[in-house]
Amino acid sequence: MASKAILGEEINKETESLYKKEKKLGEGTYAVVYLGHHIRTNRKVAIKKIKLGNMRSGLDMSAIREVKALRELRHPNVIELIDVFSHKTNLNLVLEFLDTDLENVIKDKSLVFMPADIKSWMMMALRGLDHCHKCWLLHRDLKPNNFLIASDGQLKLADFGLAREFGDVKRAMTSQTVTRWYRAPELLLGATNYTGSIDIWAMGCIFAELSLRAPYLPGASDLEQLTTILRARGTPTEDEWPGMMKLPTGYNFEKFPKPQFSDLFRGSSEDAVDLMNKMLTFNPVQRLSAADALQHPYFRNLPRPTAPAKLPRPRQTVVDEEEEAAADANRKRQFQEAFDDALSATDADRRQAVEPVAKKMDLRISSPA
Amino acid sequence: MTRLSLRNPLLTPEQIVQSPSQRQGMSQTLELDLRAYGCHLVEAAGIVLRVPQVVMASAQVLFQRFYYLASFQDYPLRGTVLGALFLACKVEESPKSIRSIINVVDIIIKRDRGYPEIVTDGYDAEYYDLKNEMVIGEMQILRRLGFNVQVELPYGLLVNYLRCLELTEHPLIPQLSWNYLNDLLRTPVYVCFQPETIACGVIYLAARKCGVSLPASPPWWIVFDANEEDIKQVARAAVALHERSRLRIMPLDSDELEMYLQGSLDDHINAIRHTRSESMASTI
Repeated sequence: MASKAILGEEINKETESLYKKEKKLGEGTYAVVYLGHHIRTNRKVAIKKIKLGNMRSGLDMSAIREVKALRELRHPNVIELIDVFSHKTNLNLVLEFLDTDLENVIKDKSLVFMPADIKSWMMMALRGLDHCHKCWLLHRDLKPNNFLIASDGQLKLADFGLAREFGDVKRAMTSQTVTRWYRAPELLLGATNYTGSIDIWAMGCIFAELSLRAPYLPGASDLEQLTTILRARGTPTEDEWPGMMKLPTGYNFEKFPKPQFSDLFRGSSEDAVDLMNKMLTFNPVQRLSAADALQHPYFRNLPRPTAPAKLPRPRQTVVDEEEEAAADANRKRQFQEAFDDALSATDADRRQAVEPVAKKMDLRISSPA
Repeated sequence: MTRLSLRNPLLTPEQIVQSPSQRQGMSQTLELDLRAYGCHLVEAAGIVLRVPQVVMASAQVLFQRFYYLASFQDYPLRGTVLGALFLACKVEESPKSIRSIINVVDIIIKRDRGYPEIVTDGYDAEYYDLKNEMVIGEMQILRRLGFNVQVELPYGLLVNYLRCLELTEHPLIPQLSWNYLNDLLRTPVYVCFQPETIACGVIYLAARKCGVSLPASPPWWIVFDANEEDIKQVARAAVALHERSRLRIMPLDSDELEMYLQGSLDDHINAIRHTRSESMASTI
C-alpha cells in the first residue's frame, strides 16, 4: 500500500468526478468554500477552492501550510482532508463538512452550558491539539471559530493556515502569530522560539471564554493585550517566570496584584479553575502540555463530560429566502467565471465557454467585435 | 487513503518508458542534460541564497517530478527552475523574496554563459518577464502535481543506516554516500524509488568503492526494506552520472530550444556575450 502513490494528473479527473459541488458557503482570504457531496456515498463534504489563477506573487503560504499539515494529521478531533484535486488553475481541497463552530455556540445566548458540556468540549479540543503536538505541528491560531462542530457533536480542530512544524531549536519562528486575544505572553514579548505551550495558552483562554461566555482577555491593541493579561492574571515575579526580561521586548512592567480567580469564575468548580490556571501559567516551560492537561483530575472528577451528541447546538437558521438568494448569486458567479475564463481564451474558445452558460441562464450575449 | 499518502509518489512503468518530452520528439540524451542542468541551477542558487539543504533537494525533486507530467517543449526550463525553488522555499518554511530568487538564478545563468554579471534592474522588462515565468512555473508545478509537493528525503535515513552498519566512523563512506545522494538528485532516481532504497543504494556503492564488505547472509539491505535489484539500479545511476560531462550552455526557453536543435544556440550566445561585454566596456 505504501508505495502505491502514483505521480500523475490523470488521478485528478478521476477524483474530481467523485464529487459534486452544490452551493457556495463562504469566502476566505485565499479560498472559496462550497458545499458538495460524494456522488456514490452521498457523504456531505466541504470543497475549498483555492484560486491560483490570478495570483501575482505566487501561492499564498497559508494554502501550502494547510495542505501540508492536514496531510499528516488524522484524528477524530481534527478536520479530515479527504481528497485533493486540481481543476484548470484552481486547487480544490475536499474536507469533511462541519456545520457550525464553537464561536456560534458561545454567542448563542439561548443556549445554557452545563459544567459537563464545557468539560466535554475541552476534552475533545485538547485531544485534537495533543494529536497535532505529537505530530510536531503547532496550530498557532487557536480560537473558538477554528473549532468546528460536526453534526454528531464532535469538536474538530480546523484552519491550519498558520500551522508549522516545530522542534528545531536553531530555526526562528515569527512571534506575530495567533489572533491577539489568544496570544501567549511570550509571543507578545517577541519570542522567536516557542513550543506547543503557545497553543495551550490559547486553549486556556478558550476554557475561560466557555465559562464566562465572553472573551477572557480582549486587548484592544497588541500593546494593550499585554496589560490586559497582566491585569487579569497578575504581573509575574522573577521567580514565577525567570528569563522574562531577557525576551526581545521585555521591560519592567507595572506590578498588578494577583486577583482571586475563584471570584471571577464562580460557576466553575475548583478543579476547573486549577486546570485553567495551569494552562494560563506565565512561564511557558511550566505551562501544562496537552497530554498533561488531559491527565488533570478535572477530567476524572464528576460531573462526567457530556456525550458529544447531547451537547447544546445553535438552532438551525435555514431561511428559504436566504438560500434562494445564495443560489441566485451562485448562478451569477458561475457566469462571471466562465466569462473571465473566456477573456483569456481565443474567440472560438470564448464563445464555446460562454454560450452554454448563457443559454442556461437565458442571457443573450453580443458577438465579440 | 493511499491518495493522500505521505510517501513519495513514484512513476508507473509506462511513465518511465516515455516521458512527455520524448513523446514530443526530444532525444533522451537532451532530456537528461536539461534535467541535470536545471538541477545544477537549483542547487547553485540554493547555496547562494543560503537556504537549508532540504530546500535545494526538495526543489530538485519537484523539478524532476514535473517533467514527467509535462514536456520541456511546452514548459521551458527556466520558469520551472524558478518556480520549483520558490515553491520549495515555502514548503520547507524558509521563504525567500521573489526578488532574491530571480537575482540569484539570473546571475548564475549569466556566469555560466560568460555574460557580464550585471544584476537586472527591478523595473526592467527582463525582470518582469522572469517574475512572470516564476509565478507561472510555480502554478504549473502545483497543478500538474495535484498539490503533492511534499518530498520525503533519504538523508536522515542514510545517517541511521550508517549507524546501524557501524560505518559512521569510516573516513570516507559517510561523506561519499552523502555526496551520492546530492548527485542523484540530478537523475530520475528520486521519482523511481522510495528513500529507503536510495539510501541503501548509495551505501552499497560507497562501500564497494572503499572495499568494505557488509553482511551478506542474510544481505544487510533486507533490514531496510530494500531489494538487491533496486539498489543496484540506484548505484548504476550514480555511476552513470559521473561518466557524463557537465554542460554549461543549455536552452532555457522555447526560442533557445529551437536554436539548440538547429545547432545555432552556441553562436547566438557568443554573439550576445560579445555585444553585452562591448556595451559594458563602453559605459566604463
